[in-house]
Amino acid sequence: MPQENQNPDLSRRNFLKAMGVLAVGVGVAGILRGVVMDIIPPNQNVESGYPTLQLALPNGNPVHTNDLIVNNPQIVIFNYPLQNEPNFLLRLGDSNNNDVAVQPTEVVIPATGAKFTSPGGVGPYKSVVASSAICQHLGCVPPEIRFHPPNDTSYPGKIHCDCHGSTYDPYSGFSVVTGPTQSPLPNVKLVYDSTNDTYSASLMIGPVIYGRTSDLSGGNPISGNSTEVTTIS
Amino acid sequence: MKEEKSLIEKIMNEPQPIPRKVPDYMRKKGGIWYWTGAMIMITFFYEVITGIIMLFYYQPSNAYNSTVSFLTQPFGTIILTTHLYGAYLMIAFVYIHLLRNLFVGSYKKPRESQWFTGVLLLILTVAAGYFGYSLTGDVLSADATDVGRGIAAATPFIGSYLELIFFGAGTSIELFQRLEAWHIIIAGAIFLLFAVHFYIAEYNTIMPDPKETNFKAPVIDKDDENHKPWYPYNLMYMMQIAFATLALIFIIPSVFALIPNIPALLSPFPQVSPTSPLASQVPPYPPWFLLFVYKELDFQFASAIGPFWAVAIFTGMPLIYLFLVPLIDRSNEMKPSKRPLIIATGIIGTFYYVALSVWGAFRPGVPVPNFLALLFFIIPLIVMVPLIYYLAGNFEKEKYSNPNAWKIMALIPISGFFAFLSGAAIYSLISIGSALALGETIASLVFLILTLLTIYALYGGVKINKTPIKMKGTGYTVFGAVYGLLAVWIFTLITLIPMTTIRDQALIGIGLGIIFFISAVLTKIYRAYAYGE
Repeated sequence: MPQENQNPDLSRRNFLKAMGVLAVGVGVAGILRGVVMDIIPPNQNVESGYPTLQLALPNGNPVHTNDLIVNNPQIVIFNYPLQNEPNFLLRLGDSNNNDVAVQPTEVVIPATGAKFTSPGGVGPYKSVVASSAICQHLGCVPPEIRFHPPNDTSYPGKIHCDCHGSTYDPYSGFSVVTGPTQSPLPNVKLVYDSTNDTYSASLMIGPVIYGRTSDLSGGNPISGNSTEVTTIS
Repeated sequence: MKEEKSLIEKIMNEPQPIPRKVPDYMRKKGGIWYWTGAMIMITFFYEVITGIIMLFYYQPSNAYNSTVSFLTQPFGTIILTTHLYGAYLMIAFVYIHLLRNLFVGSYKKPRESQWFTGVLLLILTVAAGYFGYSLTGDVLSADATDVGRGIAAATPFIGSYLELIFFGAGTSIELFQRLEAWHIIIAGAIFLLFAVHFYIAEYNTIMPDPKETNFKAPVIDKDDENHKPWYPYNLMYMMQIAFATLALIFIIPSVFALIPNIPALLSPFPQVSPTSPLASQVPPYPPWFLLFVYKELDFQFASAIGPFWAVAIFTGMPLIYLFLVPLIDRSNEMKPSKRPLIIATGIIGTFYYVALSVWGAFRPGVPVPNFLALLFFIIPLIVMVPLIYYLAGNFEKEKYSNPNAWKIMALIPISGFFAFLSGAAIYSLISIGSALALGETIASLVFLILTLLTIYALYGGVKINKTPIKMKGTGYTVFGAVYGLLAVWIFTLITLIPMTTIRDQALIGIGLGIIFFISAVLTKIYRAYAYGE
């Protein structure tokens, strides 16, 4: 070949150009198709039903009643039913830090007027309850939203969210005490195994966890048969 | 006497036309050596794009599960495995670029700052690679962060701060958040420094064959009116290289993805989780580009001085040497035979790197007594340095009539290396007899025979008849049409494959790789026809 093609046949040149563009084009198309399919998030109900997960300490041992402090001023949370769905774990007491038995009650959802029956407390003193730790107003999470023990000076015996002031009553099914929230916190149904003194989470009762289309979508399932209980100071 | 202007002053006050016109020899046979930097750039951009896509899915709170579940996302296997192998290729190209410039002497005046920024880029690239493969949360990542923590914590005075800064205060979420942040920060730093590196390169011009300046620095390409403009000639050539590089990035990991039970060192996938009972069966390998550090930590005296000092000595000394190269060799001699010290250290350094890596791959974690380590480091020194000086003297006296003499000399130790590998592979084939050993034996023997044949050909045993194949116009049309239709046919095939399983995605990856290889070939055909190149 000479330095520059002496008699460039333009149509032949354009044909080669077209073939080159075609090959690159299908390559790019193949990649784009994959990338578009890739970035569409999987809309999966990752769990077909609510899993039953034993509450476990960070060291892997199951949580026993003695591991839970009555009216604990620290925030104790665990994820359920999916990862990144935090829940409060509370052992409720009176102002003298004696266990209080929490009875199942009928809870109203002010937003819709619907009602549900809270699961009530479990454990040897029927004092252990749990609920979603994501505020139903605008989704604030601990430490903004937290439980104030009965002898606290502000909001005694209530769950209060510092973001916008929503208050919930854990002694009666996490019902709404003050707005702006229009919905109680979703209750976690706990199951107590009295022979081994262990606790498991088995169901969510009440409204859907804030920000989800269903409690079981929008996250990854928790692997294994237990969920870790952690304390944030 | 007028003081010489600094590089910054020259760049800022005397701007040059960029991009320059580029000389034709860059696109001729052998011109590929001028493009090793471009190959790094292409792999880097590929890494940035795939990395950003993975940001959609990576969860530092859930590192391992989010990495593994990304494999089953459509196209996820292709993105994750090609991101890994793109990084491997980038690092390999960085080393090739470094050695090429070391041996041809392009670190000399006026390109010292190019060399310094290049060594910094080497450090950043390896660091990005380290943080990247630690992100997966698998057992290898756990081993890597453990070792990294140990080295950081053992740093004198600031160890605890370094550990906190790079690895967080101890929780798993914080660890992976920090690894991710550092991975991205370093990638950004690579981009900024690369821009500087590239701008200096454009300013200093392409280095022509040193023959043009009678083998004296500075070797500068004079702006020549006859040079062709950047567009379209260089753009097309660069695209040809880009397509070929993309083809490699897609094909290699996709082929490896289809091989069952592939060794951890080559596997394009994350290994098992560190909490899995199978974790103990995975050898605690780092990726190949850190294997040399890993083997060095097995040395008896390395464990005596602790991991920080071992790493500081074994990686710090070569890096400091590389930084000092333009200061050590300040002469204006460009001929390799007049720079025997640089050539000898370059060869010995490469030998140490390769030998330690191979040693680490086959004998991971086996302690090495002091005398053996001493022999390992001393023997190449006392053999190679005098040998290189002797050969350099002979080249100076023009004792070798064969113009390929240096290529033959370079290939002799490489053939020795493959002969050693073949021997080891045959030994393990006889004593163990696994399929893996059979594969190793065949591969190393093929490489050995290829090297020996090349030496024979270079020595003059094979006369290559160099009449270029003349293709007529219709030939171009036929080849163009065949390749174009082949690309469309493969595209149809891979579109029909559902992107569900990892195996299907590997097949799609191979298909995409072939399409980009075809694109490279078509670009070459077009260049040949339209530009006569």
